[in-house]
Amino acid sequence: MTGLLHQLDADFLPQFLTGMTVNFEIAAVALALGLALGLLLAWARVGGGAAGVGAASIIGLMRAAPTFVVMFFLLNAIPRGANLFGVPLAPSGMMAVAVSLVPYSAAYIADAGVAAIRQLRARSPLGALLFLPNVTRAFFVLVMSSGAGAAIGVNEGIAVLLRQAELLPSLGDRLVLFAIGVAAFGIPLQIGFALIKALQRRLSRIMMRHHEETP
Amino acid sequence: MDFRRIACLLACLLSCALAVAPPAWAQGGSPDAELRGVLDAARAACPLAPGAAPAADRLTRILCDNKIRIGLRDYYPLFATHENGQRQGFEVDVAHAIAAKLGVEPDFTRVNAANRIVLVAEGRIDLTIATMGHNTQRDGQVRFIRPHYYQSETILVGPRALKVASWADVRERTVCATVGNGSNADLVAHKARLMLFDEAGVLPEHLRSETCTLAAQDDSFFAAYFADPAFAAAFVPKFGFAQVPWGMAVARTGSDRLAHALDLISQIFHRDGVFLEFARKHKVATAFLERQQAVWNRPDCNTATGATNGACILPALDTELEPTTFARPVAAFEKWVKANLGVELVLPMLKTAPAWSLFRTGVATSLLLIAGALSATLVLALVLGAVQGSRSWLLHGAARALTVVLQSSPIVLTLVIASALSHALFPASAATAIGAAIVALGLTNGANAGQAIGEAMATLRAEPATRGLGEAALFSRALGRSGSQIVAFLINAAKGTPTASFIGAPELLTALTDITSFSSGRITTYWLLLIFYILVVMAVVWFCDRLRLRLERSHAVA
Repeated sequence: MTGLLHQLDADFLPQFLTGMTVNFEIAAVALALGLALGLLLAWARVGGGAAGVGAASIIGLMRAAPTFVVMFFLLNAIPRGANLFGVPLAPSGMMAVAVSLVPYSAAYIADAGVAAIRQLRARSPLGALLFLPNVTRAFFVLVMSSGAGAAIGVNEGIAVLLRQAELLPSLGDRLVLFAIGVAAFGIPLQIGFALIKALQRRLSRIMMRHHEETP
Repeated sequence: MDFRRIACLLACLLSCALAVAPPAWAQGGSPDAELRGVLDAARAACPLAPGAAPAADRLTRILCDNKIRIGLRDYYPLFATHENGQRQGFEVDVAHAIAAKLGVEPDFTRVNAANRIVLVAEGRIDLTIATMGHNTQRDGQVRFIRPHYYQSETILVGPRALKVASWADVRERTVCATVGNGSNADLVAHKARLMLFDEAGVLPEHLRSETCTLAAQDDSFFAAYFADPAFAAAFVPKFGFAQVPWGMAVARTGSDRLAHALDLISQIFHRDGVFLEFARKHKVATAFLERQQAVWNRPDCNTATGATNGACILPALDTELEPTTFARPVAAFEKWVKANLGVELVLPMLKTAPAWSLFRTGVATSLLLIAGALSATLVLALVLGAVQGSRSWLLHGAARALTVVLQSSPIVLTLVIASALSHALFPASAATAIGAAIVALGLTNGANAGQAIGEAMATLRAEPATRGLGEAALFSRALGRSGSQIVAFLINAAKGTPTASFIGAPELLTALTDITSFSSGRITTYWLLLIFYILVVMAVVWFCDRLRLRLERSHAVA
């Protein structure tokens, strides 16, 4: 372990932490876009009719779109100079990763949104509040998925880790470095999941109390 | 006296021998004399009357107008730059020297990689000297001047600390390159992981930011960067490949005499070291020019016909790829689509044999990966589910710990770890990469699905209705209860298979990225890729929904 520390670049840790913030930024952008699109689709789906059928089809398509393929599609199928009303359409690497995660996040939010709207209609606002832990769960899944950016040169946490690993001569050292990476991503994730569980428990307790108090 | 007689006799014999049988190279005369003759004949053909129709022959027109229109690049450091009205660089000096040799004034036009052939073929310029590689495809568009005035090669540039000495060290490394570069086919053949960019200008920046482990581009492109001490201190060329000769070019029609004159000038410039002098002045690589100087000083090459002597000139780079047997109908279909639907459909994967081979392998590998990932997920879900649902705290704890670790690792990192371990155990190959990907995807999704089964077991144990049920019956009911979760992770495993390209599995994403790196049709190709994967995943969703219904039905019956 001491040997490994000597072999690491002096600026590895700051670079890795900066890279991890990029993972969180990508997840935040993907979640924001997913919320906007997903809630719209959820609203259309609950409304029924042609719009509902259309929304269900779009959600089905988005569920089936692999993030990795969408990312390469966005980078390669949109001509560099393409623009819409003066806004450039070709995304940067980081935006390509964020947008490629939108089909997943929007489909997930749409499903959670439909459930929440149905709870609201059933006059159970607390049941609808379960939407919040679901959104938090989606955020952490997006953080983990944003590591795909390493494949297209986005300078996020996994990319920094893999670059450093390439310079290490032994498999043992590389595995130790990978373990550090797993821990670095895993600790916030597990804390996040623990928070979600705590939030869910609290909401359940409030709901139970609410049911008991309602005549 | 005797000695003088003998010497005289020998001299007479030698003169006779030379007169009767001159050496082959002497038959063509000197290139200098031939050039003088060509230029004199062209000048003599100038229309005498003012306002007469311009000469059809391009050389005659150039000499009569006292002007040659030359296409040069505006920004290609060391070779041709145009700043503050000043043109500088190796090619600029070559252009001036050619105009001087013809005895006319140069008239420069800005050209780029996209229009350097069009402008000369349409007669809007007389000559293009624009960092243009001579390959067999371009031979049909313009007439290249021989001998070639420069030769570049693709070099792999990387950090000094990185040990890369041969193709064996390039396998599965990220190499940044530009789209459409012919040398990409070599990188693909040696299993490099390509990261493609539209412009070469971004490559040094991506090397510095460590986005690219290595970058592949012309040595002429990197020459300017290596002139920067900071860049040279950090990076070195690892090795070179795909040598390509550079040629000046003229139009294929009406330029026969101009081309012949320029062939002779190029020959003379090599022989006399003119090109070499310009190269030294602008600090571009000189090894090729030194070799060429030796060639064009050879008696058999230093003749009026040297430029047509196969022993003296270099061949064009052969970039023609073997077509498939159905390339023609595919091309006809592309034309039909464009004419009738107005859609620019390009299907490079169906038109050349190497692309078709990559495409077939990609489709087969993708389907194999999906089948493998689904099977591995299901098997590991059942195993880990059974273990997590067991009453043994040791087994339960171990399975739970494994699940937490797998949940905490981003899938890309899990793939890399699986790949590193598999390479330590087995020789590097496509099969190893596919196997590692299947195990990684199966473990990640199987652990999550297994957790759902384990949790379902725990809830079932707590229910009074299931008291007295055996472990097998309980497990069966748990499968039914966690059916939707199992299905969700099976779909996730299928959707995750393209990530296997990251560790070198030759699936469809890798195959199509490789194909588009050396051919056109990038947009169509990535549309097809997206459609393929969406359809495959939708088929998996349909299959998994059937599985879920069966599980739920069996649970309801039980």
